[in-house]
Amino acid sequence: MSLAIAGMGWITPLGNGVDAVWEQLLQGYEAIAEKMSEQFSNRSYNAFRVPESALGRLAPHPRLRRASAISRFAAAAGLQALQAAGVKVEPQNAERMALVFAISNGGVIYTKRFYRDIVEAGAQSASPLLFPETVFNAPASHLAAILGITGATYTQVGDSAVGLVAIRMAEDLLTNEELDYCLVVGAEEVDWLLCDAYRRWRLLRLAPPVEPFNKTARGMILSEGAGAILLSRKGPIMIAQTDAGAHYRKRTETEEIVSQTISNLAQTEVDFVISSANGTFIDEAECRALRRIIPDAIVYTAKPAVGESVGAAGLWQVILGAQALDRRELPPLLHVTSTIPLRVPASRTALTKARHAIVLSCGVNQQVAGLRLSIP
Amino acid sequence: MLKSAVENGKSTNARVAVVAAGVVSPLGFGLSETLDSLREARDCVTRVTRFSVAECRCKTAGQVADERLLKDQPEAGRARRLHRASSMMIYALRETLAQEPQFKPELTVIGTTSGGMSYGEDYYRSLYRHGSLRDSPAWIANYPAQKPVIDAQETFEISAPCQVIANACASGTNAIGHAFECVRSGRYERVLTGGYDALSELVFVGFDSLQASTPEKCRPFDRHRTGMVLGEGAAILALENLDAARARGAPILAEITGYGMSTDNFHLTQPDPSGIGPRRAMERALQSAQISADSVDYINAHGTATPFNDAAEGKAIAELFGRVPISSTKSMMGHSLGAAGAVEAIICLLALQHQFVPPNINFRAPDQLADLNIVANEARRTALRTVLSNSFGFGGTNASIMMQKFEA
Repeated sequence: MSLAIAGMGWITPLGNGVDAVWEQLLQGYEAIAEKMSEQFSNRSYNAFRVPESALGRLAPHPRLRRASAISRFAAAAGLQALQAAGVKVEPQNAERMALVFAISNGGVIYTKRFYRDIVEAGAQSASPLLFPETVFNAPASHLAAILGITGATYTQVGDSAVGLVAIRMAEDLLTNEELDYCLVVGAEEVDWLLCDAYRRWRLLRLAPPVEPFNKTARGMILSEGAGAILLSRKGPIMIAQTDAGAHYRKRTETEEIVSQTISNLAQTEVDFVISSANGTFIDEAECRALRRIIPDAIVYTAKPAVGESVGAAGLWQVILGAQALDRRELPPLLHVTSTIPLRVPASRTALTKARHAIVLSCGVNQQVAGLRLSIP
Repeated sequence: MLKSAVENGKSTNARVAVVAAGVVSPLGFGLSETLDSLREARDCVTRVTRFSVAECRCKTAGQVADERLLKDQPEAGRARRLHRASSMMIYALRETLAQEPQFKPELTVIGTTSGGMSYGEDYYRSLYRHGSLRDSPAWIANYPAQKPVIDAQETFEISAPCQVIANACASGTNAIGHAFECVRSGRYERVLTGGYDALSELVFVGFDSLQASTPEKCRPFDRHRTGMVLGEGAAILALENLDAARARGAPILAEITGYGMSTDNFHLTQPDPSGIGPRRAMERALQSAQISADSVDYINAHGTATPFNDAAEGKAIAELFGRVPISSTKSMMGHSLGAAGAVEAIICLLALQHQFVPPNINFRAPDQLADLNIVANEARRTALRTVLSNSFGFGGTNASIMMQKFEA
């Protein structure tokens, strides 16, 4: 079936809006890390945060009064995507748009605060205002209410491949002719607790830079924000193929599963790849698989510049891929060494004839997914 | 794998069979024990033992016994390292595959609300109290919501891609509904679906803080209902294109014939009192199944026993279906959240197979707000052809699936 991107929205630590973030990436900028600490621990971490000022343009809405950052990021990105497509949700078409929301850690800030009250002061101190915001689908519910969507709304949970799994689900939904659009949103917020968890899992480094495809996997830096794409059946950028995804059992199997995904998507010409390399063990798996299957493709990852946004990451990659196809250039890949055995854009690189791109998402918790973007 | 019919932009509208199923819940381990509990109207709600409930209003929940859960695992050593949600999923999948060992899904769609939340609690408590974090890598690795699904698949060497749906209390029904549509559209031939959730302190205290849970018995649709009790469990259904299933001689346990969902944007935790959200979901399930309301023989209601839910759902059912027999089986086992829709789909399956309607226990007095035909306190033997199962959740997500006795 025909699947196209009708509009996109993007909020990251580098800026708010597709064009704003894209321009920062083209200039070779990276987000500024913010130190995060916690009162009961002497450990501190660095993360890429979305500055509060970036949400200044977001119109007030009753649903956002008490909502966590993740819901506000999602609202900002979702509204941008609809505006970019020139689509308005009206009561008469509210059921003809579905919403699929991709998430990994969810509303971790309120979840931590809610549980902290229980641990510190007992169950009677638990806040009935916070609890509903801890539920995975709270951000999707807020977004549906803000946009007026009354039909299908799904929240999908997974690792950093979940964004592409959500797009696959959107494709499944759009086989139903009663739907005109599906808005896919990925969002995440960062907290000290997440940094600590990923550090103990040996996946996080204490401070930037993120060094992609480095022989020594020194770790990632977490980030936050949201990405949104409005899918329809017609548009300038097509999602020519989605891979349903797969999972690896052990880290040693990662390369094999990534290779299968690339092979499925590389049956026709591939000009460049938006990789999910983030400074962890997945970089080596992707590097080996890409070298073996499509050695001539240019490979880019934005994670050195914007960090690992987990639930939002897949959507960010698709936006990057679509933007690169549309603007016919790739930003410079940051913090690379000359020994990387891949074709990487060391500086702004023109893609004059590029028409096909693979977006590859390998999550750190066993999920792998991919899709192919094309200009018709 | 995409089917050519869909590549051409056509919908096949294939019939969708349930060819195998498995369940573990407070009602029992497996289909047989579940059936016995339903027929005998057992109250399977007990005092919570997993964590302290001393400061909570509600002290009870439907619980799955750990000893038996671990004893029944194929690899006991591995099961002890996994989250108990994984153990429940493994149990349910093992029962499913015992019926249909040849079932090779192309996709797995599972609902949950909280994943391995209790491991997140262990981790936070240890951090906060400067306790031992020796086990923290295992807690962190087994906390994510997709992990129990992947664990269950790996146990039986299934490598289907997973979609994990977290639509609050409607997750299980949404998962089954989406899986149904995937097979019906012709995009997939075989899909594994269901839901799971394990009891956790954070969620238990959360519902208690909202005063949604009750210190008394759970009495859905009763005039004096005071709230819900929580539960836990896992349930899996193997869905297959009916023609393909028949061609390979698979048993057809029932058909799923319709699915409807809606989103009411009234409030994050409360349903629109008009019942419009549930009503739209049920209307869409009827449209999807292409039947009229008077064809429905039984409704397994969401029926949490909270004043708001039962009023809205009861109103919508009375308006749409009149006096069709309804019950909320949550009265017997509590509300298992992401598992609820899947466990209740299994209950509907058993009702269709054994031609009875399961009871709504602890029922004393009808609510005057809606004229409902409650299956009060005892199971009823009756002829059933078509049944509807409802699940509604936080965030205003409403889902209904239609199931039908298989007639060749």
